Amino acid sequence: MIPRSVLNRTLLALAGLVLLGGGLLILFAGFDLYRRHGLGPPAGWPLTAPDDVLLGSADRARWSSQGWWWPAVIAALAVVALLALWWLLTQLNRRRPGALPVGGTPPREGVELRDSALSDAIETEAGALPEVRHAAVRITGRPAHPRTRVGLTLTAHGAPGATLGALCEGPLRTAHRSTGLDMPTEVRLKVARHPPHRTE
Amino acid sequence: MTPDPGPPGRGLTPSERPTVPLTKEPGPSGHAGPEPDTMAQERGKGRRTHRPWSARRLPAALVAAVILVAAVAALADVVAVRAGRPSAAWRRHLTDALATRPVDDLWMVTGAAAAGAAGLWLIALALTPGLRHWLPLRSTADCPRLLASLNRDGAAGLLRDAALRVPGVGAARVRVRRHRVKARADVRFRDPRQVKDDLTAVLGEERDRLALAAPPRIVVRVRRRTG
Repeated sequence: MIPRSVLNRTLLALAGLVLLGGGLLILFAGFDLYRRHGLGPPAGWPLTAPDDVLLGSADRARWSSQGWWWPAVIAALAVVALLALWWLLTQLNRRRPGALPVGGTPPREGVELRDSALSDAIETEAGALPEVRHAAVRITGRPAHPRTRVGLTLTAHGAPGATLGALCEGPLRTAHRSTGLDMPTEVRLKVARHPPHRTE
Repeated sequence: MTPDPGPPGRGLTPSERPTVPLTKEPGPSGHAGPEPDTMAQERGKGRRTHRPWSARRLPAALVAAVILVAAVAALADVVAVRAGRPSAAWRRHLTDALATRPVDDLWMVTGAAAAGAAGLWLIALALTPGLRHWLPLRSTADCPRLLASLNRDGAAGLLRDAALRVPGVGAARVRVRRHRVKARADVRFRDPRQVKDDLTAVLGEERDRLALAAPPRIVVRVRRRTG
């Protein structure tokens, strides 16, 4: 499985290259850069002179007179639409492991932990840390490779460094010890909005 | 290419720290070995200490939606024409324009420039880490697999409160950027130069409490304002 970040970035780069390439092709011909700079585009190059058009009548006649042309266009469009739909849906669903194997390695048969139970436990313990106003925990990833995402909102007196240390010593260590899972954890810290004030 | 690119020695020590202590790797490390995407990403691409990389979900969803809409519209129209109905007005307009306007037509040039710019933008999105509003935090030695970041507004709020604790400061505005913190303060009483020194010290202390992986430079400006 390709991670979503890699997939998205690859496809975005591909779409970007197509757009950039098409744009440059038109701009080069439109400003007549080939002739001005003495560049000879290779034979069969699509657009070369400023009075070229994108859809030449010769091209249109050549392609659409073929019997297979329109079925091929329909098939290609359908494939593109399906791929785009799949790509769009990949963004919507967030993969969650559902149940996590626990009980050491190899995991014991029949012993499973709901991901929501684990995230609730971490959330409760993290929310009880001093200087934490709100905690939100989510377990993502596949059952074999779960990951934890923690969002913390600190109070106005919070110290991110200290809170992070406490999170590591407290809830995360408890989770690690009680499940045997050593999950990569991503923490996002925010500070509760407050008017400017001077304390102490 | 992976390990050596680190001319600015600034971010290197923290990034290497988690690899060194293998203290907590007890027996059951069997399945924990070949896993971490983020860690691999950090090692591979992120020469900036622990910068998390965005998944680029929103741009991906937008581009996918645009492609989907265009493909479905074209598909519907092609099928309709094959079934014997006349083609839609938009398609006739579009093909007319593409067949009659030469490539040095204003519309064509504008459209091509826009497409090129959008393409560059997408490529930039694909290659840069993103998440510019999140400042990565130093990883703690105890939790090497912890990747934490603090958002800039939060950092600014904490620094502003610290600035307001300095005697003589009436109001303070703090702007946090990735490599620099700019603080501007109005001085109500005391010698501005002294207040500025105090502010620099206090903000430096508060910045250290934030535990940022790449601590930004602090620039303080004070202005005397009585009344």
